[in-house]
Amino acid sequence: MMQHTFASSDGPVEVTLSKQGDSFFLQGHELVKDARGRLRITLQSGHVHVAHVAKVGDTWWVHINGRTFKWERIEPGSSNAHDEGGLVAPMPGKVLEVLVSEGDKVAAGAPLMVLEAMKMEHRIVASADGTVIRVHYRAGDQVDQGASLLEVE
Amino acid sequence: MNIKVLVANRGEIACRILRACKEAGHPTVAICAPNDAGSLFTEMADHVVMLKGESIAETYLDQQQIVAAALNTGATAVHPGFGFLSERAEFANAVQTAGLTWIGPSASAIEKMGDKMTARQTMRAAGVPVIPGEEVEEDDEAMALTALREASERVGYPLLLKASSGGGGKGMRAVHAAVDFDQAAAGARREAVAAFGDGRIYIERLLSGSKHVEIQILADQHGRTIHLGERECSVQRRHQKVFEEAPGPTMTGDLREAMGQAAVAAAEAVDYVGAGTVEFLLAPSGEFFFLEMNTRIQVEHPVTELVTGVDIVREQLRIAAGEPMSCGPLMMRGHAIEVRLYAEDAANGFLPSIGPLAVFQPPEGPGVRLDTGVREGDEVTPNYDPMLAKLIVWAPSRTEALQKMRRSLDEFVVLGTTTNIEFLRDLCDAPPVVDGSTTTTTIEDVWPDGWNPPSSPALEEAALLAAASAETLGLHRTQARGPPSSSNGPVSPFSTLTRRYP
Repeated sequence: MMQHTFASSDGPVEVTLSKQGDSFFLQGHELVKDARGRLRITLQSGHVHVAHVAKVGDTWWVHINGRTFKWERIEPGSSNAHDEGGLVAPMPGKVLEVLVSEGDKVAAGAPLMVLEAMKMEHRIVASADGTVIRVHYRAGDQVDQGASLLEVE
Repeated sequence: MNIKVLVANRGEIACRILRACKEAGHPTVAICAPNDAGSLFTEMADHVVMLKGESIAETYLDQQQIVAAALNTGATAVHPGFGFLSERAEFANAVQTAGLTWIGPSASAIEKMGDKMTARQTMRAAGVPVIPGEEVEEDDEAMALTALREASERVGYPLLLKASSGGGGKGMRAVHAAVDFDQAAAGARREAVAAFGDGRIYIERLLSGSKHVEIQILADQHGRTIHLGERECSVQRRHQKVFEEAPGPTMTGDLREAMGQAAVAAAEAVDYVGAGTVEFLLAPSGEFFFLEMNTRIQVEHPVTELVTGVDIVREQLRIAAGEPMSCGPLMMRGHAIEVRLYAEDAANGFLPSIGPLAVFQPPEGPGVRLDTGVREGDEVTPNYDPMLAKLIVWAPSRTEALQKMRRSLDEFVVLGTTTNIEFLRDLCDAPPVVDGSTTTTTIEDVWPDGWNPPSSPALEEAALLAAASAETLGLHRTQARGPPSSSNGPVSPFSTLTRRYP
């Protein structure tokens, strides 16, 4: 299969590779897998780099020339919509303080909750202006990574 | 004298100490929480004791269990590393009461320096300059907050709130205006209570534009106390150091001598024994002020080792065994830089990250040292500090050391967990780092709106090409990183031999 869709912060990216012999091409850049399984990329500029890749879950991690990129692959036909403005726990931890109540109006950047994880305090802030419509946890609760903490509309 | 050393720590520093013991011919014991089973450091010890319990308090902070582990395994000495119990005077006492050698300073020295408020008073008495500020001795929450607020008005803004039992940036808050004071003080107290069980806070004037310069000292039991020169560790995020170097880029011989003498005086004021670090703030005026003394080995000790040629951990072992330290007169050669690799998202407020280390491929080459406690295939969990490794380089000059660090960071491949490698690489190009004018606010000064990775559309497209090609080739199903199959290589003459066991 030569066509793939990846998620990015600007929405899905569709990639169609072209193939000639053992080479894959995209936007003038060329990739060859050598006999040892290494991915050698010749940029359009002529620079050559070896890319290191690993797939974790649906995400391809790529290291090339000192930079690391993540591309999450979207299975064809699946709806992989991310919650807009979803306030989720960035890591497992404990809720230390809830700074807002349901019905509160909050401005973008306003602190909503304080989490403790890895021995440090982390603030959960509103990503946009809105109204708090639901608070899912109270101070002292343990939360898992990815847990929805509050909902702001 | 031969000693059998129990290392009361984990991760990178446990590896560092266990290796030094092995080199010195000392047998070793590691302790390990159940969720650390299989960690790299457990493979380096002669004996591993699995602790009972889950939380850090039930394992690496459980003094009774650790002393019992030492006694049960015939250990004769305990090395605490850094963090955990390293600066707990009562643990030093418990170890010595059990008839074991404590690889560190006396409990009374730890106590005098560990309580930052007492340390400030001790240093004032010893004639070492301290940062202007006030200590508030008050246990009751409401009264403490009131007293702090009053003190804040005398100290003036901007100011820094610090936990008397603090360290590692915990319980610390910078306050720039009176309106933020109450919330900051309550937060600092809460974090201090949670981390140290002691909510006492003191206030220091925030000396902006200052450098963080610290002096490594060593003192043996034969009455000799020396300093090993300075490290500059100004570059910090969230009050934790990320970039450290020796010598300090703006240091002069006279200033080094003055600060070195002050550090030796500080150590002698508490009858210090072992390795320790006296931290100072160096103001733009050239004045320096005592910050605190860390009564243990420090994370950034390798930069001093590389420029002085002293193996500080080996000296700790020697000193604890009652031998004189082996160092001659101070000689500093070339330049060393250390960066701390964290599992964290530098583009998102340096938030810690977790995940597998699907690929972990450190750089190599002359003058490159890696101190780490992880290897490829490990999982980064939220259970412990997110520091993955320390990358340290040495070169004849500062310029060359920076060049070597850039090259090494570009070579470092970590996939599966977000790290700060690209941030550190970008930091090596920041003007204050390049010209050596770093201060404790360099990161905020250079990136006032937070750091973001530099844009490079061509590499981003190439990465997309790599991801799409890898998916097409099914590399995730064929273990792309395995060794080449033997059919591609030359035929080994030994493969025809048959061996049978037993």
